[in-house]
Amino acid sequence: MENIIEVKNLVKDYKELKAIDDLSFEVHRGEILGLLGPNGSGKSTTINCVLSLLKTSKGSIKIFGEEMKPDSYDIKRKIGVIFQDVSVFDELTVYQNIDYFCGLYIKDKATRKKYIEEAIELVGLQDFKKFLPKKLSGGLLRRLNIACGIAHKPELIFLDEPTVAVDPQSRNNILDGIKKLRDNGATIVYTTHYMEEVEILCDRVIILDKGKILAQGTTESIKDLAKIDEKVTVEVNDLSNEYIEKIKQLKNVDEVTYNNGILLVKYKEGKNNLVDMVEFLKKESINYNKINSERPTLNDVFLELTGKELRD
Amino acid sequence: MFLHNFKYSLKTLFKNRMLIFWTFAFPIILGTFFNMAFSNIAESEKLKTIDIAIVANSDFQNNEIFKNAFEELSDKNSDNQLFVTKYVDEEEAKDLLENEKIVGFLKMEENTPKLVFQKNGISQTIFKYVTEEIVQTSSVVENISKEEIQKEVEKGNYTFNAEEIVKNVLDKVQNTEVEFENTANKNLNYMMIEFYTLIAMTCLYGGILGMTAINQVLPNMSNKGKRVAIAPTKKGVVVISSFLASYVVQLIGLALLFAYTIGVLKVDYGANTGLVVLLALVGSLTGLSVGVAVATVFKVGENAKTGIILAISMVGSFFSGMMGVTLKYVIDKNIPIINLINPANMITDGYYALYYYNTLDRYWFNIASLLVVCAVLLLLSFFSLRRQKYDSI
Repeated sequence: MENIIEVKNLVKDYKELKAIDDLSFEVHRGEILGLLGPNGSGKSTTINCVLSLLKTSKGSIKIFGEEMKPDSYDIKRKIGVIFQDVSVFDELTVYQNIDYFCGLYIKDKATRKKYIEEAIELVGLQDFKKFLPKKLSGGLLRRLNIACGIAHKPELIFLDEPTVAVDPQSRNNILDGIKKLRDNGATIVYTTHYMEEVEILCDRVIILDKGKILAQGTTESIKDLAKIDEKVTVEVNDLSNEYIEKIKQLKNVDEVTYNNGILLVKYKEGKNNLVDMVEFLKKESINYNKINSERPTLNDVFLELTGKELRD
Repeated sequence: MFLHNFKYSLKTLFKNRMLIFWTFAFPIILGTFFNMAFSNIAESEKLKTIDIAIVANSDFQNNEIFKNAFEELSDKNSDNQLFVTKYVDEEEAKDLLENEKIVGFLKMEENTPKLVFQKNGISQTIFKYVTEEIVQTSSVVENISKEEIQKEVEKGNYTFNAEEIVKNVLDKVQNTEVEFENTANKNLNYMMIEFYTLIAMTCLYGGILGMTAINQVLPNMSNKGKRVAIAPTKKGVVVISSFLASYVVQLIGLALLFAYTIGVLKVDYGANTGLVVLLALVGSLTGLSVGVAVATVFKVGENAKTGIILAISMVGSFFSGMMGVTLKYVIDKNIPIINLINPANMITDGYYALYYYNTLDRYWFNIASLLVVCAVLLLLSFFSLRRQKYDSI
């Protein structure tokens, strides 16, 4: 499998603070790699280092097999970046903004025009070409931000939290657009702190915290790291401690919590624990409103590894 | 790439309302207020003759050059009368100065003039400048006379009339070089000084344009800059094209100001239009370089940088005489370093020089000073811009 990006032993210090601590990873051609971590975990810093915007303290970065430097124009020509904060000119229309940034890569006007139209279509801004950014909603603005970063048809795309503060419709549109880009052959590095997006979108995931890699692999392989195998949640009122103690004694149960009428039972293994729980509730004549079972999430893995939630 | 960035820099600058207000509208509004406020008093502010005294000792009486020059400049019947001169002894001169009947007096000690003042001001500066010009003329006459005598000796003529040679040289020099003309009355009045500082201020406001244009392409200043930095474009190309775009916008702003003040407010900038414009062009360049330096050197937000540039422009204009020329002379006397490095002062001083003095030395000195300041600031910016990677962004 061809590596598009190779990062080895990357370290970035800010005086006392180690923002990136000995990071090594690869990005394979044609995949969407998710960088998942809470705010301040080093996701954006990693991207800025890889793009050679930030000085690194140690380590090496190769993109397309060559060392990445500020004047690596041939490499830069094949890269597109969508930064976390919307980076467009307030004074230019939607079309002009895309034209400006695309023009930094594509000189030929006819080609550029074609690319701009395609980018506008991809993000669904056909009806807003002549709009100024201030006339766009937050979601549309994010789409413009994406169009500015991908209009020149880059082979490698960095998306740094592109869906922050976006309405569900725009989020779906953005995620669909990213999938299309991947289907068209682009390699994508996607940072987020929304685990749902990673599960929907990414082929592989790197979980970061405090600049370190906690885990990496496919979402399923990472979930396998969790010591629990199933979670059963029951909406039940007034559950006494006697019953909670009984539940703890059930087969495969690892942990039981009961807060605000929600009973959460975590199982070490097994995939049919829900039936056992239903039978227990029936046997003990405990009335309940809702019950459901789910596999552990990436958040559970993160919680187990760090003791905190992804969105903390 | 150059043209692409230049075109879009122009567009963004022209569509930035805040910038257009400060660089286009504000100077015109201020000019209108100046015109309303000062047009009535302009006539009364025409340069008056300056009261001086000369100690009429034998050293002065024997110095033909000084005697003739001051007689000519004190001629009541001349349109160019600059001084009202009293020829007195030293004691009387001191009394006159103490009682403020004169702005200063001159005493010749052998061939060296000594000027005595109690205060500093524009009249004193003119008196001093004229005296320096006469000293220079004396030196020229002396050198040419020596050459003429040498020529006579080389010819083998040892019976020349030295006095006649000196007189001929003196006549020649006076007819060609020493023409102290009070041109100020024609065009220079209090209102004009305000317009000069207005032009200076407008030139320096161009710094906001320069700063905005540069900020847009610096990754440590804006997200747009990050995007530009990761594009396959050379930083130098982007920075220079952005700088030129802001210069063009600045020049259009200045052209509008000139057109408005000349066409609507009927301001007469005099016959030296080319030099007036040249000073504005150089001043604008320096103004832009102030903006570029502020953009690259100060690690603060865009609003703070705008504040710094506005402060430099306003304080600089204030020190250079926007709210009255007295302050300019107080600064010149007590803290001369401020006005020596104050671009606003260089611009206004260049304009003063253009209208006050008959030679362009002082004008060119100010032009050169502005270019030096511009070069230093751009050099400073260059070293800051040379960085390709940042510690933090």
